[in-house]
This record gives sequence, C-alpha cells and structure tokens, in this order.
Amino acid sequence: MLIQLSQVIASGLAMGSCYALIALAMVIIYKTSEVLNFAQGEMAMVSTFIAYTLLATYDIPFIIAFPLTLLFSLILGMIIEFLFLRPAKDPTLLGLIVITLGVEMILYGVAGWKWGAETKSFPSPILDTKVYNIKGVVVSQLNIWVFVVCIGLMLLLFLFFRFSKLGVAMKATAQNHMAARLMGIRAKRILSFTWGLSALIGAVAGVLIAPITLLDPNMMVDPLLKAFASAVLGGMTSMPGAAVGGGILGVVENLFGWYVSTEFKSVVAFVIIVVVLCVRPSGLLARHYVKKV
Amino acid sequence: MDMKRDYHEDIKLFPNNVGMAWFLLLVAFFVSFPIFAQDYIVYILNLIMIHVIVALGMNILVGYTGQISLGHAGFFAIGAYTSVLLMTKLHVPFLLALPASGLVAAFFGLLLGLPALRLKGPYLVIATMGFGMAIIHIIGHWESFFGGHMGIITPPISFGPFILDTDKELYFLILAVTLGMTIAAINIIKSRIGRAFIAVRDSDIAAETIGVNLTYYKTLAFAVSAFYTGIGGSLMGFVLGFINPQNFNLFLSIAFLAMVVVGGLGSVLGSILGAILITILQQQLNNIPEIPLLGKGVIFLSERWFSMSGIANVSSIIFGFIMIMIVIFEPLGLWGRWLKIKYYWKRWPF
Amino acid sequence: MVSNYLKSVLVVFPFIISLTFFFGHSIASEIGVSEDTIKIGQWSPQTGPAALWGSVARGTDCYFKMLNAEGGVQGRKLKQYIRDDAYQPPRTVGAVKELVGRVGVFGFVGGVGTATGMAVKRYLHTRKIPWVGPASGSSRWANPPTRYLFALYPNYVDEAHILTSYAYMTLGKKKIAFFYQNDDYGKEGLMGAIETLKRYGTKLVGEVSVEPLDTDISSQILKLKMSKPDVVILWLLPKHAAMTMGAAAKMSFKPLWMTTSTLSDAPLMYRITKGLWDGVMFDSFAELPDSKTPQMIKYKKAHDEHAPRERWGMFFYAGFLFAEPMIEAMKRAGRDLTRESFVDAMETIKNWNGGIGHSITFGPNQRQGQRSTFLGKCEKGVAVRLSDWLEVKK
Repeated sequence: MLIQLSQVIASGLAMGSCYALIALAMVIIYKTSEVLNFAQGEMAMVSTFIAYTLLATYDIPFIIAFPLTLLFSLILGMIIEFLFLRPAKDPTLLGLIVITLGVEMILYGVAGWKWGAETKSFPSPILDTKVYNIKGVVVSQLNIWVFVVCIGLMLLLFLFFRFSKLGVAMKATAQNHMAARLMGIRAKRILSFTWGLSALIGAVAGVLIAPITLLDPNMMVDPLLKAFASAVLGGMTSMPGAAVGGGILGVVENLFGWYVSTEFKSVVAFVIIVVVLCVRPSGLLARHYVKKV
Repeated sequence: MDMKRDYHEDIKLFPNNVGMAWFLLLVAFFVSFPIFAQDYIVYILNLIMIHVIVALGMNILVGYTGQISLGHAGFFAIGAYTSVLLMTKLHVPFLLALPASGLVAAFFGLLLGLPALRLKGPYLVIATMGFGMAIIHIIGHWESFFGGHMGIITPPISFGPFILDTDKELYFLILAVTLGMTIAAINIIKSRIGRAFIAVRDSDIAAETIGVNLTYYKTLAFAVSAFYTGIGGSLMGFVLGFINPQNFNLFLSIAFLAMVVVGGLGSVLGSILGAILITILQQQLNNIPEIPLLGKGVIFLSERWFSMSGIANVSSIIFGFIMIMIVIFEPLGLWGRWLKIKYYWKRWPF
Repeated sequence: MVSNYLKSVLVVFPFIISLTFFFGHSIASEIGVSEDTIKIGQWSPQTGPAALWGSVARGTDCYFKMLNAEGGVQGRKLKQYIRDDAYQPPRTVGAVKELVGRVGVFGFVGGVGTATGMAVKRYLHTRKIPWVGPASGSSRWANPPTRYLFALYPNYVDEAHILTSYAYMTLGKKKIAFFYQNDDYGKEGLMGAIETLKRYGTKLVGEVSVEPLDTDISSQILKLKMSKPDVVILWLLPKHAAMTMGAAAKMSFKPLWMTTSTLSDAPLMYRITKGLWDGVMFDSFAELPDSKTPQMIKYKKAHDEHAPRERWGMFFYAGFLFAEPMIEAMKRAGRDLTRESFVDAMETIKNWNGGIGHSITFGPNQRQGQRSTFLGKCEKGVAVRLSDWLEVKK
C-alpha cells in the first residue's frame, strides 16, 4: 500500500519536473517582459526536432549535437523577439498574447511542414527504460535526470540572476525599462537575450522529455498547458514557484488518477489551481502586489 | 462632425437619416442574398454570423470591461447542448430553447465571474482556460446525460408552420438573431451599464471610488458575454446538425479571442470584421496547393526542402502570420484600419 | 456635403460589385461525371492532432494516379479533391459543402474521423451523394443502413469481438484487461470486448481509460498492472500505445499485448518504441506491408512511382482499400454512370476479393462491406501473419 503510494508520488514528481522545466522558461520571460509566452512549447518542439535531425539524419554524436541544439534555440528565441515582439508598438497584454499565439501557429506549421506528422523516435542517450528500483519504487534514469536538471537549472538561474552582471541587468530591465536604459544597460539586447535564454531552457526540456512524449509536432501541446498551469500555481514571477507548482501539479494529478478516476485527472488539476488562485491570487510563492492608487 | 449637442444625439443608433438609409439597404441586400447564392456560400455566411454573435459577447467582456477569457468555448458548448437537450428530452419549442440556452450559459458565466473578481492577467487566463476545459470534460464524460463522445444529432428547428432545415432557411433565422443582438450590444455599450464597463476597464479602483460596484459589473460582464456565446453555440448546433464535445476545444477559445483582438477591441464593428476575417481564413485555407500563384511556389518548396505530406501546414503559417501582422502594424485591429480609411476619405484631398 | 456623399458612394459600390462574385454558376446540372473525368472528394486531417491519418487521403490520391496511368475507369480519369479539415467537424461541413456546391463532386471516399463524418452524414444522405469507405470503424455508418453510404472498415465492435475471442478461445488466456482511449473509438471497442466475454460467461479483469491529449499515463499503467491480467488489449492512438510500452517496461509489467488495426503498423510502432513492440499481436483488415499478393506488389510499385517520399505504411495503403470497391462498382455500372446506377452496382458486390481487403459484401440492406480481419504479430519490427481471415458471423 505504501509502496504504491510512493510509486504514484514518485511518478507524479517525475512528470511534474518535466512541466516545471517548461514552466521555468515561461516564468523567465514573464519576469522580464511581462509576456505570456504561448509559443514556448513550440519553440522547444522545433529545437527538439533540430536535435533529432542532427542525431538521426546526420549521425552527429550527442555530445556535439546537444550544444548545437542549444545554440540554435538561443538564436531562435532571439530572432523571434526581434522579428515579432519588438515591432509591436506599445502592446497591451492581449496584443502580446495574440502575437505569441501567432508565433506558436507559425512554428507549428513549419515543424509540420518540414518533418511531417508521423511520430518519430528520439535517439536520446538518457533512457526512460533503464530503471532503478529503490525499495520497491521504480524510477527511470530519465526521471532522475529530469528532476536533477530541473533543480540544477533553478539553482543556476538563481545564482545567475543574483550575482552575475547580466542577470542583474535583466532584473533591472524588468523592473523599469527606461531607468535601465538610463543606467547604461542596452535594454533591447537584454530583452532579446531573455527570449534566447528561455528558448534554450525550453530546448533542454524538449530534449529531455522527448523519449516520454515521443516526437511529433503535437508533443508540446499538453505539456505546455500543464506547464502554464504550474507556473501560475507557483506564481508567475517566481522561479522556485515554477518548480514547486510543477511538482504539486504532477503529484496531485497522479494521486487523483490513482485513487479516484483517470478520466477527470487533468480537469481536477485545473480546478485545484482555480481554487488556490481564489485564496492566493498571485500564486503560491509570488508576492502579491496590491495596486495602490 | 462628431460633436453631439445633447444626450439623445449621443445614444442615437444612427447619426443621421442617410446612415440609416444605407443600413437598411444593406439589410435588404443580406435578406435577398440567399435567393441567388449557392448553399456553400450561405453556410459560410451562417458561420460568420454565429461567430459575429460570439465576438460581440467576447468584446463586451474583453474590449469593454478589460477582462481576458480563454474559456468561452465552454459557454459555446453549454449553449449548444442546452438547446439540443431541451428540445429532444423535454420537447421544449425552439423559441423558448434558444433564449434558455443563453440564460443557462449566462448563469455559468456568473459562476466564472465570481472567482475572476480577484484575478488579473495570466492568472485570469488560466482560470478561464481551466473553466472552459472543465466544462468540456464534464460534458464529454457524463455519458448518460450528454450522450458522451458519440455526440447528439440536432433536431430540425420548427416553430409554427415553419421547419428550418437547410442552410438557406437557417440563414434568415440567424440573420434576424444577429441583427437583434448587434443592436442590443450597441445599446448596452451606450447605456449606463456600458459606461460602467468602460470605467472598470480603464481603472477599476477609480471606478469603485465613484460608485461603480465592481462585483456587480464584473460578473455582469461575464454573464452577458456568456449569454451571447451561449446563443451563438445554440445556433451553431443547428447549423452543424451534430454536436460532439470534440468540437469545443481550446483552439476554439483561442479563435474567439483572436477575433476580437484582430478585429479591434472595444468596437462593435471591429468584432464583426474580426469574426469575418477569422472565419474565412479558417475555412478557406484548407486547400493549399490550389491557391493561385502561391500554391505552385509552396509545392516547389515542399519538394525540395520540406515534406510533401505536411504541405497543408502552410495554412497554420499563413494564419499565424496574418494575425501577427495585424496586431503589430495595426494595434487597434481591423477597426482601427477602417477608422483611418474613413478619416482619410473624409479629409481628402488634404 | 455633396462631395462627402459622393465619396461614400464611390466606396460602397465596388464593395457591392465585388460581392457579385458570390453569385453565379449554380451546379445543379453537373453531378461530377463528364466525358473524361470523374470527380471524387475526400476530407482529411492533414494538420492538427490527427495529422498522422492524413496519409489515407494521400494514399487514395496515389491509387487514382495509378488507375489514370492505366487509362482510368471506363475511359474516364479520376480526380480527387482533398480538403484539410484538421479533424474539426465545422471545417468538414464547410469542405463538404464546398465540394458539393462549388466543385460538384460525384461522391466521397474515405474521410477520417467519426465526429467529422457524422457531421456530414445527413447532409450527404439528403442530397443522395454516394460515400464509400469512411475511414473509421464506427458502427454508425452501416447501422442502420442507408442507401448511399457504404462502410468498409470492419467496425470496432466486430474487431474487439475477433480479438477477444482469439485471446480467450484460441490462446486460452482467461484474464483480459482493456486499455482504451476515452472517446467513441475506444468505447466501441470496450463494448465489443465486454459483450464477447459476457457470452463466454466472464468479464474483463480491468478497464482503464486515457484521454486523447494526456501525456502522462503512469497511473493508468499501474492500475492495469494491479489487475494482474494475462492479456491487455490496447485500443489507443499510436502515441499512447508507444508510451504504454515504455511505462510498462519500467514497471516490469509484461502481459501479452494485443491491439487493434489502428496500431497494426508494426514497423512504425517498433521504431518509435525502440524495439519494445516486439511480440505484440494485432489484427488487420488489409494485407500486411510486406505481403506478396499481386495487388500489393502493384500498389507498392505505384507508391514508388507517384509518392516515393511517403512512407509505405498501413494508413497509406488503406487509402487504396477504401476506394477499391468504388472503382469496382464504377466498372460494373459501365459507361453510363449515374449516382443511382453506381449504388445499384455497389449492391451487386458479393464476397469480393479483388482488392487488399477480404470478402467485401454489400446488398439491398447490407452496408457493412467487410467484417473480417486476421491476426498478426510483430516480430523484430516485421509484421508477420498469424492466422487466416476471421469473419464475424451474426
């Protein structure tokens, strides 16, 4: 009984860390440019396809293909920001949402056009089938890697934003664009770089998740929604929030699926989020700024 | 030319008699249209009109009250299922079932509006999205009541001696409903309620200080927009002839949002234009290789660098591109562009 | 003020004139058959979540190209009009109305999806437009039978019956669990399995469902494992089936896996599961990809010639299968081809094995053409035949 419960929780955490990775990328963009990036999933998906092409079609070893993919995603993020978000003059939240939705459609179309709709198998060196049995609870090599990478990235980003010059510059740009420029920060470049960084994290998430979700243009549609929900649950402006939100979402989903019914699994997740939001309107870990007149 | 001398001029529907004459001419044109046109065109027009109704509703919520919602597919579904179930299980006549579906949807809108009071921005988006998905899920899984994934075939509409079954017959009904609801929307905006909505959008705290009850008006906005969407959904059920939970997914909510944003927030004409554009794009982009000029180029590219099997995905690319271009270059949407054309004409040759 | 008036008139009139393009050529007289062409339409999910099945329509296209290269049917070439509906019924309705009203097709072939097909079923019937081979095994096409709609794909209930009986009687496995997608596709299969076992006086040891868009199925697999079955029948999309293999392997859960014809594309499944698909049994309603029957060899040649970049897989040549009886009926109807003579010719098809299906039979009130499938097994990525054609007799 306890073993089953631990198994359910462990699987939940495993899936939750996948959501958390994508949520991290979304939170970074939201923190710095106040944009809800609906294109996050597709950016990750396209990068994963590029990795697949490098690995499968050109037979490049993973050690080289992975950094190349990261480089590609960095450039992709920066190009998207440059082409689509910068020209928008004084955009409202809604306008930005629609732009990111448009980018999402374009990326989805390009991926479907280039690689076709058939599911492909991603040749990842980290396997989901290699399992470790820890006192009756089964976790796979992939699960461990995703979890570790998630926590590791979070720590890295935390240190980056706290202590590095670039990180502080990014925080400054987020707080007050004009003041940052006055202080000599090249705000536009910072913005581009933010998107590039977020795309990069998305690519890491995509490559890690691909063995589980399998590779086709639709792979990121559901994880994106769950990631979005995790980010909101944890607080859109808090990076630990993204990780915590992802973990909670994954575990709650699995627990509900196991004990009650698998049919309403996803719905319950959303309902819980709405309930949490009623109590803490800005998410669990974010500071709720009450607007003062 | 735009100055009003008293309150009555401000709330008049048409600024002068000439405007009303042109409008009546337009209405006459639309009424006589189906006599000449093919079934397919009439079907597209029916779809456009239904989407206009929904866009009007969304505009009241998003454009005038400043709340965002990605869950309207849920209200759409509620409207469709309510009227079909009322007509098949309880044998309620159509003339009652239609407003009933709007009211039931409005009730759920109220339910959604309550938690939405405290939420802003991305949090509101998620809450509404979750609501929309929950509704669809429940409809899909409560088999005994909703017919589940098998879907339900909608009965033909009949009132009095009329039976409305074909596209052309439905057209007149939908035209009448659309006209009525458009006029109602314009009047709501011009009334006290509309001004309260706009106040909430512009600054809700300031609005509260001058006595606008936020709770009342925000939930009212949700309820009214849900009412419109419910009516649209109900009509959609009859146009399609068959409803199934699969029809009402997140993509639909996104399309609704796109209609109001692309068309122009805060303007009735904008929602109409947005609904027309998005519906036509959705329906017409289903045959890429046969588009003149562009089609040949796409086939050429597909054979060289892309896959032939995925060629239809170009429709997504075009759709997304158009949406982005409109929002970037014309933040006020299609209505903004229309305004600029209008003012250009009025000021010509200066 | 007069010049203002004139200006607005100048703006409005072109608008009205441009609308006249909507008027015009009504297609009342044309029914898709001309001296040298027959027009056929098909809706297909070329984009969107079901794009995997877009290859069916492309298969039919290849089939038509092959036939046209041989001279066509009764001296007429076949032209297929494919419309992308992204698996959404409102778009299917729009596509069908456009093909009927503006293009003027003779009839429809294939068409993936139950919800999409149901949305246009009544419309096609009231206009007496023939429709052959819906690409879905719903029992609603042929049951109750309607004059113009001919179903080929053995329906899901029958398929489940064949699979379950084979497992229970032939293989002797008594504890059967069912893992299904939570929509009409999966539920019809579930119904068939339950009914079959009821006849043997027993029932399923486990029934677990999954939502089409779910990406995490670990709790479902755990539930299946807990019911301790000998056989698990999978009634899913290829993606979830592949995920199932991975998750089950993780938990060292190794029952005998059996699947429906939707998952019978063994080479594809083997590849995307990285070999975990080995040993899975499936049933199929068409010949296997490596089959050496003359028809399959001919079709493979046509594929290599007209659609070389498309993968030679089950969904692709299913597009051939759904159109085969239609072509046969056109041949039988002769040069004087009308919709009515076509339908009468379809009804004369009895136990027809001229294609890659089996024993296709229609009749005055019989609209379910094929009711047989055979069992196969995946052996190291190759689909291998296990049994002869098994027919459901009721």
